[in-house]
Amino acid sequence: MTGKHGLMRELSRNKTMFLMIAPTLIFFIVFSYVPMVGIYYAFTKFDFEGGLFGSEFIGFENFRFLFESGLLWNLTKNTVLYNLAFLIIGNVMQLVCAIFLSQLPGKLFKKSAQSVMFLPYFLSWVLVGAFVFNLFSDLGVVNTVLKQLGMQPYDFYIQTAPWKYIIVFFSVWKGLGYGTVIYLAAIMSISDELYEAARIDGANIFQQIRRITLPLLKPTFILLILFSLGGILKGQFDLFYQIIGSNGMLYDATDIIDTYVFRSLTVNFDIGMGTAAGLYQSFFGFILIMSVNTIIKKTREDYALF
Amino acid sequence: MRMKAEPATRVFNLVGYALLIVISLLCLIPFWLIVAGSFTDELEIVSDGFKLFPVTVSFEAYKSVFQTPEQIIRAYGVTIGVTAVGSALGLLLTSMAGYVLSRKDFTYRNPLSFFIYFTTLFSGGLIPWYIMMTKHLGLKDSYWAMILPPLISAWNIILMKNFMKSIPDSIVESAKIDGAGDFRIYRQLILPLSTPGLATIGLFLALGYWNDWFNANVFITDDGKYPLQFLLYKILSSAAVLQTDNGAYLAANIVPPTETLKMAVAVVATGPIILLYPFVQRYFVKGLTIGAVKG
Amino acid sequence: MSMKQKRASLFVVLTMLTSLLAACGGNNNNGGNAPAPANDGAASNNGAAVNGEAAADGEKKLEKVELTWYLLGDAHKDQDKVVAEFNKMLSKDLNATIKLNFTTWNDWQTKYNLLLTSGEKVDMIFASSWSDYYKLAKQGAFLDLKDLLPQYAPTTWGNVPKQDWESVTVAGGIYAVPNTNAEYTPDGFVYREDWRKELNLPEFTDVNSIEAYLDAVKTQKKVTPINGAAYENVQRLFRTWYDFQPIGSDVIGATSYDAPRDIQVIPFTAQFEEWVKRMKTWADKGYWNKNALSSKQEAGDFIKTGQGAYYWRNPSSAGGFINEITAKQLKMEIGYFPFTRFHNYVIPTLPIANGMAIPKSSKNPERSLMVLDKLRNDSAYFNLLTYGIEGTHWAKGEDDKTIVIPAPGVDLNKTPRYDIASWGWRYEPNMKGEKGGWAGLDKLKEEFKPISKPDIFGPIYMDYEPVKAELAAVNQVFEQYGKPLMLGLTSNVDASLMTYRDKLKAAGIEKVLEYVKTEANKYYDEKGIQ
Repeated sequence: MTGKHGLMRELSRNKTMFLMIAPTLIFFIVFSYVPMVGIYYAFTKFDFEGGLFGSEFIGFENFRFLFESGLLWNLTKNTVLYNLAFLIIGNVMQLVCAIFLSQLPGKLFKKSAQSVMFLPYFLSWVLVGAFVFNLFSDLGVVNTVLKQLGMQPYDFYIQTAPWKYIIVFFSVWKGLGYGTVIYLAAIMSISDELYEAARIDGANIFQQIRRITLPLLKPTFILLILFSLGGILKGQFDLFYQIIGSNGMLYDATDIIDTYVFRSLTVNFDIGMGTAAGLYQSFFGFILIMSVNTIIKKTREDYALF
Repeated sequence: MRMKAEPATRVFNLVGYALLIVISLLCLIPFWLIVAGSFTDELEIVSDGFKLFPVTVSFEAYKSVFQTPEQIIRAYGVTIGVTAVGSALGLLLTSMAGYVLSRKDFTYRNPLSFFIYFTTLFSGGLIPWYIMMTKHLGLKDSYWAMILPPLISAWNIILMKNFMKSIPDSIVESAKIDGAGDFRIYRQLILPLSTPGLATIGLFLALGYWNDWFNANVFITDDGKYPLQFLLYKILSSAAVLQTDNGAYLAANIVPPTETLKMAVAVVATGPIILLYPFVQRYFVKGLTIGAVKG
Repeated sequence: MSMKQKRASLFVVLTMLTSLLAACGGNNNNGGNAPAPANDGAASNNGAAVNGEAAADGEKKLEKVELTWYLLGDAHKDQDKVVAEFNKMLSKDLNATIKLNFTTWNDWQTKYNLLLTSGEKVDMIFASSWSDYYKLAKQGAFLDLKDLLPQYAPTTWGNVPKQDWESVTVAGGIYAVPNTNAEYTPDGFVYREDWRKELNLPEFTDVNSIEAYLDAVKTQKKVTPINGAAYENVQRLFRTWYDFQPIGSDVIGATSYDAPRDIQVIPFTAQFEEWVKRMKTWADKGYWNKNALSSKQEAGDFIKTGQGAYYWRNPSSAGGFINEITAKQLKMEIGYFPFTRFHNYVIPTLPIANGMAIPKSSKNPERSLMVLDKLRNDSAYFNLLTYGIEGTHWAKGEDDKTIVIPAPGVDLNKTPRYDIASWGWRYEPNMKGEKGGWAGLDKLKEEFKPISKPDIFGPIYMDYEPVKAELAAVNQVFEQYGKPLMLGLTSNVDASLMTYRDKLKAAGIEKVLEYVKTEANKYYDEKGIQ
């Protein structure tokens, strides 16, 4: 279809619409596409004399530390699984909260609950890290309670087992208020008439949610998941770094690509290697999103991202 | 509106209230601990950790933050200004882009969506971007260096597109038949119908601007133009450096509190923006929007 | 136009913009010196420029310039006033003004690298071994000053000792002006002297006496002696006790100062094995916490609350710590033990521990050098930019070498002390001391002077380019397995030591070791060390 319409015809036909989106396109060209030349750093041995294009081309040498580490598979797996957990549990929680917040009676309660849920968003990961430490350290809250109950204290900081849950919990907790707003706004655009009609048909509140709210929120849910798939290999560095810190005892369960790269390059920072790691993450995400989007486009076109 | 509650509704309400109360407490208590912590004596925090109520109340951390009150006040001004201008401009551009991409009769909507999404996948890193900003656009030490980078994001545009997609096509079509231009449809029909979406994106933009310290960190050297968040982080990192080896060269006799300072900084930084949310909330109350428009 | 054409035109626009960006980035890096040979290129080119400008005409009037200088850290509240004063003098003497910028401590490494890689115009910047001077110099970030110095900074050229110039020489070029102020910053630790006396423990001489102290604190005082973050506390004790001299990283080093060519993988040595076994017993006895690797709280903070008893410090930071205890009137007596007493020698800091360099992007390197020469050697300039405005930020003390802060009638709460990171231009004869503070510092200086030995390890420069992948892997292994082992946190020492060694081998430690040996020997041969 697109081939038949020339750009010029399309331009004159939709002049206004092109003008409306033009600033956005220019913005991305200037601030995103042109600076993408920096990807080339991944293939060079950087020196100041040559700059970006004058430095020696060394092929995939900068990628070697990733692929020869023997850890890449484990890191990739950790990163993907953590991100999936954040995404799915996070979105489900946000969706549930949004539904309750929109349907429960009691305006004041709802408004305060909603505001309070936003509070964690404002705390930096540094503070959350300090907070987590206060909870789980040798003399932390949890161990104090355990001791008072006459139980053995638990050495959280040398055991890998609990950290998956702790990390997922705090990630979901921190993003809850933010994500809920999106679903609330989406619920707002569902027509009241639909609910009224359902009520008249005798549907109770659970049936209304199942038959109206959930199906109508499905596109938003899928969109949010899809959007994040491209970044599936990009970990939240601050979250992991501030909560786990440099505790090697926990790395098997908590190391993601970003923290690994950070650690590998602290002694000898190398812009080429840093860029190479980023490129690996981007490329992986790119392949993933292209395939998923193509599949979705074939089945349900309107759910596709592009 | 609400009639006698059916059993199902009662169960729903019960579960809902219970869940929301638990979640609210989980969100409120840590924040309260931090507020309380910011008023605690530094040594008490180090020895006892977080407490619901401090034993020795101390304002040391706030004294460190407000050591130069003129600067904090000016930084508030900068942040408010940047947030207001950036959010307004960003909302305009995002909503226009979102509108265009949501129009099903716009042939290039998928390629352009991809063009925008692609920027979230690949990035050239800090250096070329910095060169673009400073050398080619000359934005070093300019307020625009703080306004431009967060102005438009793929995330916001795609969200906006999604919100606008749920507006029935029939509205656009009948307006077109009446001879309305694309911009008029956007301004007079789509925008009023998109208030929850606009409120959401506006809120996200404002939060983004409010919390942004990175752009100031990289581009602003003139301390008169520091925004609030950057100023606060600067106080924090100087306090941290004073503890390290290099700090021995700096004023060895003054050691600011560090633990309580972190918390005071969080409180001061959060302050006013938290008031924005209840203001935006009224757009999330049912019955204001689409229900009003009938076929 | 078809879709294809549309794509093509977009592509054209993109390439145009791209080449624009790249051209400018490159231009800058190549600056005025691309065609000239590496060694004298920069200097001769700039020399030529200067000739035309001023120098050839001798005392003729210099053209007016504004120089951009960058320092680390934060500006002072009165920075504008100080710089205005400075510029008043400077415009009269050298017809120049400086714009003094600061990186702030926030993320300073990122910004420092950004300033250099982006080629932004900077005429002078702080440089030091701990901000990668050697690496950046070798990669060509700074201008070679060798030929400029005698002409534009003659006083400095004359009064910086020859061996200091040598120590900043990289591949035949001088890329920075080091500060001139011999300092000693060996490791050591502060401890509760009152507890040591109360518990009837001997003065420290070796690790056994330290262990006795830690044990008594734990068992009798019921206090975890190394509370909070423990790793550095233990690692530094280990290193100095066996006299290991790490080269480049914590994992590879010479076995002692006297055997610089005996370079080994430290975790492969018998001493390391002995040590980690001992540390396991220390950890089990509770000298530090199980969460010692995750704690972000400094061990010193716990001393202040009476919950700690050991904190590694160098003498001047120990001084700061002790001054703070005194100022806060905490009821405790703090002592300091320098590890130099284990082997009776001390290494002074490298001259380039602090210094000033001129980035390649500078348009006026010769004038910037002239300003630096003035700043270092003319006490009016030096005092102003180092200590602030006389009468406001400081006042003259009893003699020329001492100052009083705050100046009489000045409230420190309104006018905080002027403490910008002025380390780069230090010149000992111009420096002033402040009365008061910890007396131990001067005593230690006296102790160190006769036992000082030159630093033969610090200037070994390695860019690791041929082994960078291996180094990254080794560093990761060290973080994951080496640190917990050092703190005795693993349940089975023998097994985890074996794992650590195996992982290091798998990461390619041998290759890194060979590289370090080659580079170190090259340096020793050049300097005639054994």
